Amino acid sequence: MGEVRLSMIELVRDTYRYRELIWALALKELKIRYKRSVLGFMWALLNPALLMVVLTLVFSTIMRFNIPHYAVFLLSVLLPWTFFSQSLSYAVEAIVANGDLIKKIAVPKLVFPMAAVVSNIINLLLSLIPLALLVPLLRHPFYWTWLYLPVPLLALAIFTLGMTFFFAAANVYYRDVAHILQILLSAWFYLTPIIYPLELIPARYQWIFKLNPIIYVINGFRLAVYYGMLPKAPSIVASFVCAFLSLFLGFAIFRKYQDNFVFYV
Amino acid sequence: MSSSPVAIRLQNVTQRFRVIQERPDTVRELFSKFFRHRSSYHDFEAVKNASFEVPKGQMLGLIGRNGSGKSTILKIVSGVYRPSAGTVQVQGSLAPLIELGAGFHHELTGRENILLNGLLMGYSKREILARQQSIIDFAEIGDFIDSPVKQYSSGMYMRLAFAVATEVDPEILVIDEILAVGDAGFQDKCFERIRNFRRAGKTILMVTHNMAQVAQHCDRAILLDKGSITADGLPDDVIEVYKSLLALEAAAAH
Repeated sequence: MGEVRLSMIELVRDTYRYRELIWALALKELKIRYKRSVLGFMWALLNPALLMVVLTLVFSTIMRFNIPHYAVFLLSVLLPWTFFSQSLSYAVEAIVANGDLIKKIAVPKLVFPMAAVVSNIINLLLSLIPLALLVPLLRHPFYWTWLYLPVPLLALAIFTLGMTFFFAAANVYYRDVAHILQILLSAWFYLTPIIYPLELIPARYQWIFKLNPIIYVINGFRLAVYYGMLPKAPSIVASFVCAFLSLFLGFAIFRKYQDNFVFYV
Repeated sequence: MSSSPVAIRLQNVTQRFRVIQERPDTVRELFSKFFRHRSSYHDFEAVKNASFEVPKGQMLGLIGRNGSGKSTILKIVSGVYRPSAGTVQVQGSLAPLIELGAGFHHELTGRENILLNGLLMGYSKREILARQQSIIDFAEIGDFIDSPVKQYSSGMYMRLAFAVATEVDPEILVIDEILAVGDAGFQDKCFERIRNFRRAGKTILMVTHNMAQVAQHCDRAILLDKGSITADGLPDDVIEVYKSLLALEAAAAH
């Protein structure tokens, strides 16, 4: 327990100390992602916007569900999920990809997974803009509960950060991790009520799905954007318990092995 | 020498590397290795029980053959490696010139790279922006500063990297073999800057294969052989020991 407390102190201290570096690395990530494209940064908005158009067309004409405004139903959770899976996909390589740097400069290792998460948070925030435009366009009510979104956003960011620390560290030792992660993420995607509502699962199996920590974390998004409701207190508590457990464990593991990364990258 | 404060102190430092020998030639071998839980490695000591102190203001040259542990010591001093055993103390801010432009990204402009590289070396944004203009001036980059560095000539690239690494006014400078780059004019400029550092009383630790540089610039030299310190003293004396070591080696080879 003392170990965990120590690593949390270190995490907060180093995040603050290297905030400028983390921010610069995150911006670099985005700049490089959109560089050499004519529309540049606009793609951060266009990409989710176009995805929304496709999804709306598909689900309003070809595959019709019994869920009104299915596109809003789906996107309210798909966008946070995309943030989660993209952060992980980027961050799993964060240490290995910066191996040359780590071997030459004494740089704090935690900045790399953090920068990956920060750059994807920026993407997520930008993708909420086209969603906010789509909602009235589809004549779905625009609820005041949108104002609640910072809370699930915070829980999601903390949860994601913890996972990225774990996967980035594990991938240094076993490069198979990056491949396993992709399979894991796609299985996880279908096991999480994203494209379907949790109610679709037979009642006696629902408890299994409720063991999935991320449902508490992303639940708030769907409630606020689609249903215009706020999650109940136990659900909010559960989301932050999952988020901080992920961060504690993920960073404790990362911290334990970070001095040896340089020998394996 | 003992009266002046110490800038760098190494005590009984050993650096061990785990060398993994896995080059499976066949799929079967790969599988058998996998199930035997990768047992094929050995430990290699790049630096063995090394101790030395560098007083503030001294310029120390590390010499020795390839693989003698010089660069490993630089990486230990600059904090890239945490040594397997022993302690390292560094007093004051340190700028590593281990590989120039290590933090540069080709798609970013010179200006963006100055900021990113400076932050990677541990300086604050304010410190970097305050020195930005003199970095650009020293590197003689001109209008190219707002172009991506992939469009730079290798000379421009090195000049910018050197300028970023040295403009920030470190107390200790760690240099690895980098002064072998650039044209003669730029090398002069680099050495001029290093002389200025010395005049300002900064500590310099450098690795080089150029004995003339050691004899001309350093106050002291340390000879490393197979990870151990074999000579430590005035540059001319240590260079003599090194030369006889090389001669002995050559004789043994015949």
